Amino acid sequence: MSPNPTGAAQAQPRPYSREWLLSDRPVSRRQARLGRAYIVWRRFAENRLALVGLAIIILLLLVAAFADVLSPHDPVVGDLRNARLLPPGSEGYLLGTDDQGRDILSRLVYGSRLTLLVVVLVAIIAAPIGLIVGTVSGYIGGWADAVLMRITDIFLAFPKLVLALALVAALGPGIENAILAIAVTSWPPYARIARAETMTFRNSEFIAAVKLMGASPLRIILRHVMPLCVSSLIVRVTLDMAGIILTAAGLGFLGLGAQPPLPEWGAMIASGRRFILDQWWVAAMPGFAILVVSLGFNLLGDGLRDALDPKEAGQ
Amino acid sequence: MIHAFKGRIRLLTTGVALAVMMAAAPQALAATPKDTLVLAWAIDDIITLDPGEAFEISAGEIMGNAYDNLVNLDINDTSKVTPGVAASWTVSDDALTYTFKIKPDLKFASGNPITAADVAYTFERAVKLDKSPAFILTQFGLTKDNVTEKAKATDDSTFVLTVDKAYAPSFVLNCLTANVASIVDKALLEEHVADGDFGNGWLKTNYAGSGPFKMMQWRANEILVLERNDNYYGEKAKVKRAIYRHMKESSGQRLALEAGDIDVARNLEPGDLDAIAKNKEIITDAAPKGTVYYFSLNQKNANLAKPEVREALKYLVDYDAIGATLIKGIGEIHQTFLPKGMLGSLDENPYRLDVAKAKELLAKAGLADGFDVTMDVRNTQPVTGIAESVQQTFAQAGVKLSIIPGDGKQTLTKYRARNHDIYIGQWGTDYWDPHSNADTFAANPNNADDAAAKPLSWRNAWDIPELTKETAAALLERDAAKRGAMYEDLQKKVLETGPFVIVFQQTEVAAVRAEVKGYKLGPSFDTNLLSPVSKE
Repeated sequence: MSPNPTGAAQAQPRPYSREWLLSDRPVSRRQARLGRAYIVWRRFAENRLALVGLAIIILLLLVAAFADVLSPHDPVVGDLRNARLLPPGSEGYLLGTDDQGRDILSRLVYGSRLTLLVVVLVAIIAAPIGLIVGTVSGYIGGWADAVLMRITDIFLAFPKLVLALALVAALGPGIENAILAIAVTSWPPYARIARAETMTFRNSEFIAAVKLMGASPLRIILRHVMPLCVSSLIVRVTLDMAGIILTAAGLGFLGLGAQPPLPEWGAMIASGRRFILDQWWVAAMPGFAILVVSLGFNLLGDGLRDALDPKEAGQ
Repeated sequence: MIHAFKGRIRLLTTGVALAVMMAAAPQALAATPKDTLVLAWAIDDIITLDPGEAFEISAGEIMGNAYDNLVNLDINDTSKVTPGVAASWTVSDDALTYTFKIKPDLKFASGNPITAADVAYTFERAVKLDKSPAFILTQFGLTKDNVTEKAKATDDSTFVLTVDKAYAPSFVLNCLTANVASIVDKALLEEHVADGDFGNGWLKTNYAGSGPFKMMQWRANEILVLERNDNYYGEKAKVKRAIYRHMKESSGQRLALEAGDIDVARNLEPGDLDAIAKNKEIITDAAPKGTVYYFSLNQKNANLAKPEVREALKYLVDYDAIGATLIKGIGEIHQTFLPKGMLGSLDENPYRLDVAKAKELLAKAGLADGFDVTMDVRNTQPVTGIAESVQQTFAQAGVKLSIIPGDGKQTLTKYRARNHDIYIGQWGTDYWDPHSNADTFAANPNNADDAAAKPLSWRNAWDIPELTKETAAALLERDAAKRGAMYEDLQKKVLETGPFVIVFQQTEVAAVRAEVKGYKLGPSFDTNLLSPVSKE
């Protein structure tokens, strides 16, 4: 079968058109995949709030990418003498300045990079760990399952923030350690989800068929079990991202996350706390940024769940 | 059933009535009585009110108001002392024997007469109790075995103190102004002795002194009440009663002061001070105190050990901007190690932000491209703010400073073990004499890791045999003016070559309602005197 749909029968609609994507008789794997993605997207796009969430996240990505161009001032060097604690709307300082005379807008813009860094790295570290532990545990079962799940239970027994605090306290404060600590504390729920998913189809016929064909357990887990767990995992990770941002901000607030002068949003709130009665904007602006971005991830996650939910997808 | 219901109703109405009464109570307190001064202050550091044991800031102020010493600091010129219980004193030619004549017919608040025997008992008690401030007296060679011989009443009105070396008389007299040498009532204390504790257990929460006020009541973290002592020989206190209310939060004190619930607020932060500056009913008073904030460069770090680098970093602090913003109202820029107002204090601030000069010095040290260095910072203001500001100004000359935050215990432990690069913190004088600071900033008898004495210069591995000798010599200089000049010289040398970048001296601020007259903060923590205060 040619991968190029132009070579297909004349009866086929124009490639990449709506009809082609929605065709119930795809002539190529590629067409089938794109078609499925299109259906998911349509379902996702029906949800207006999800689109708002997506827009917020895209905006965040753009702001982070073009931080150099967008920020009017240096985020770490301030003008202590002349520009300390200026209110929002002051000349040259749209969102005001903090107690070191630094422009809050520039700090927020650069801070978006740190926020994205934390979110992406935590997702990259925690999701695969959870996926591997969960699928192995679910597929193999027996003592491996018991051991892996008890380890997961131990991690789940601690409140997330408390465990992260303990880890950072042991490793030393800093953004890298904060990321590591959050990743270590956030994989267990993913493992649980992956295990539950794996259990539902470990005895199904297609797995049995692959087994009969002589596939090794490794191959079955990697090629046949994991892909089926991915969609629910993506939903869960996206929904967790708001929590990750809040945990990172919480660590920053407690002085255990990003260190000065890094413009981490949680640390910015912590340093603005002293001025909250008379110079509210120092703490309020980063708080607002955290609120918007967390909301964005939550809306996106909700939309993705509706679009990817296997129960609805099977209709 | 109905009975129970009635009971519940009664409970409810009583509860409501109580709540209304409690809500009304603050109004009842508003406008404090004319003969009572109410101060709001964080007094949670008080753990004992025994002058032989107390070494805390708040307790120091209480002692200063409630006890009298042989000699007191002259609050108008703190390089001198004025007579207290002692009418006069002489120093022998070999500077080893001090003879004090006690004023006649003095009485303790209890009514017992004050005699030389009480003074001798005070010394014996402090040395034998051996609590934290005892070193101020034992550094004169007083020990548990010889104190009754060395600090002795020869008759009812003569007290003789013998010291082990020919110390500067100003040093000895300054030390005698400390709380630990506050005269206690021997007869009263002996009634309360338990297990040979010199009445320490009782005196922790009670009073046996002769100052302008007597301490009536102290409830930890709640209230401390002083009352006028009519047996005081000097000018009597103008108000009948002074009440310290424990209030920790700056905003709470501000609200209470504005409402008139209190007369004096003692813990206002810069933001709240700014806010009340517009209020005509409130005035503020500030006085520099004996605490300096500094950061120090560990000489074990090869880069920081270079003299050019030490000097360059002194040029990389924006003193003016820090003084105008971060420490506004709570401190003033001060670069020498003796606090302003102390004998020999040098009031010179030669360093200011000069990036070009610093770059030149760094280039001379072979570090034209700067270097990386860390700073241990305690997680409190204003040090974190200053550390961040210093981080920015260091960066202008290429010095990349990473801040390592920690709580007080973490950073201090690291500092004491000499494992830091740069440490930022404060140093408060232990007693009002230049030796207290000189001994730590300008003396390092042994720079080995296992040295017995660990002054600040040891903590920064600054090996200074010459300065150590000069500090020891200043301690034995008998002419106060010459002694002052020696300390000025020491300060200059430390300022130029030392590993200490001293940034500012702490200022204590009090906000006072306008109807309170004569409230003035003193130069040291135990000279915030209340007896001249009156209310209109």
